[in-house]
Amino acid sequence: MSPALLEVDGLDKAFGGVVALSRATFAVAEGSITALIGPNGAGKTTAFNVISGFLRPDAGTIRFAGWRIDGWRGDAVARAGLVRAFQAPRVLTRMSVLDNLLLAAQRHPGERLFTALVARGRVARREREVRRRADALLDLLRLAPLAGDYAGTLSGGQRKLLELGRALMVEPRLILLDEPMAGVAPVLGLQLLDHIRQIRDRGTTVLVIEHDMDVVMSLSDRVIVMDEGRVIAAGAPDAIQRDERVIEAYLGRLAPLPAAGSPPAAP
Amino acid sequence: MDVLNPAFWTFMAVIAGIYVILSLGLYVQFSMAGLPNFGHVAFMAVAAYTMAILVVRLGLPLPLASALALAAAVALGLVLGVPALRLRADYLAIATVAGGEMVRYLAMNFPGLTGGPLGSIGLLGPGDIATYNDGWLRMLNGLAARAAALLGRPVARDLVMAALVWGLALLCLGVFWRLERSPWGRVLRAVREDEVAAASVGKNVFAFKFQALVLGALLGGLAGLLLAWQIGVFAPDDYQPTLTFYAYLILILGGMNRLWAIPVGAVLFSLLYTGTRFLDFYPLSLIDSGSRAFLRLFLVGLLLVLFMALRPQGMLGNRRELLLER
Repeated sequence: MSPALLEVDGLDKAFGGVVALSRATFAVAEGSITALIGPNGAGKTTAFNVISGFLRPDAGTIRFAGWRIDGWRGDAVARAGLVRAFQAPRVLTRMSVLDNLLLAAQRHPGERLFTALVARGRVARREREVRRRADALLDLLRLAPLAGDYAGTLSGGQRKLLELGRALMVEPRLILLDEPMAGVAPVLGLQLLDHIRQIRDRGTTVLVIEHDMDVVMSLSDRVIVMDEGRVIAAGAPDAIQRDERVIEAYLGRLAPLPAAGSPPAAP
Repeated sequence: MDVLNPAFWTFMAVIAGIYVILSLGLYVQFSMAGLPNFGHVAFMAVAAYTMAILVVRLGLPLPLASALALAAAVALGLVLGVPALRLRADYLAIATVAGGEMVRYLAMNFPGLTGGPLGSIGLLGPGDIATYNDGWLRMLNGLAARAAALLGRPVARDLVMAALVWGLALLCLGVFWRLERSPWGRVLRAVREDEVAAASVGKNVFAFKFQALVLGALLGGLAGLLLAWQIGVFAPDDYQPTLTFYAYLILILGGMNRLWAIPVGAVLFSLLYTGTRFLDFYPLSLIDSGSRAFLRLFLVGLLLVLFMALRPQGMLGNRRELLLER
């Protein structure tokens, strides 16, 4: 495995009596698409929340590009290059699609109060750069005709694309995608898969939570399996598919194939 | 004063201009950053009291006292901000009402410091009438004299005040209009809409809210100073929560998310506020003038209800934007 961009070690997180994460440990290789799978309630989204700084872990360490980021606030983690997209897209409904993207620009002098008032030239220059990037992303995501519309008028699938675009605007090193295929029609699903592969090809590492096994197997370089807050397996997709523990926890039992002529065995 | 007296209209213009600045302060906090601050009047009170105390008790020159007064308003914003900004919207509203009332009660209950219920008159203790206004009035008279020399005809002092206040108001409006359309304003809007989404793309939500609160405090303080100078005297009772509600009404009248609707709302409001004195025709003349003052409050409340029910986007607002869910 190439050097790990993200190393999670011994994460614990409990909500009162509910243990969401229990000594969770895994690593994500740079430049890979890694899938995080597991039954509902396994702790996948909690892991995302903790890694991206929106929840504090009770114990454990998180290393991103060599830095310890456990305990960092969500916005600090994002600025460091680790960006998450949400399961239910959180677009800013009363802002335009374009503004949603422009917002995500980093290191913009115009976002500092004093600079916004006095350094007009510098602000305008950066704004032009940012605008160009946003336009390019809009074209890539095929949202350009909707650029001026309120994000609240977008359909669910379009919002997913916008959310993806906003995460990409940050130019992250690692992007966390939480069930990008959920509730998405097959055509858009293929588009999204394409985008995810392109993202990886351009150098951004992807960690994706997904339930659709076909997607997981075809898309990912490595699969991490969680169950009841623990990591129970990690490895190449086909190895995971054959792993007994994973099958038992998550994929369902394989029924043995019937011999020719005999009735099929009960599942 | 009857309707045709120019002095009345000048007075109304001054009040309207002061309310533009006050409401702009609220606009930055509420419309731009989404912070429901219901203690906005406290910034006025702190600035006015600080200025008056420094001028009357310590004899500081007016410009210095004013600068320190604005700094005091900003300090209050900082002090309020640290605990309050961690609270969710409704709790923030409650906490800020409490903050505002705390300032008023402190003013009422420390006569040694603030003149107590007597207000600014009592700043030099009982038996003495304290005024803080002389420096300001001198300046206005000086300006009026120079204007008269320039124009070749007498210029009323109130007119100079109105021009000064509206000059400041328009300057502030211009500055914040530019800020609103800047990337800084964009982040603030995002923070208002969805903090978590804003944080997920690296924006320091707390810092932005803080800046909005402090800017609002600065504007509120400025409005407080101008009003104190215009009226010449003030007391704790002049800083009741009602004033904050007037500022909200102005925002609602004009349109919550339209900065340039603030002057529209402020003028409408001032017309209403100062115009209730003209309600001395039958059958309203049957009510004594003391009770008629309450008509003012009644009308304010009625207007609030009517606008929220019939035209929630205000005079200049955008109905479509209002209908989009978060």
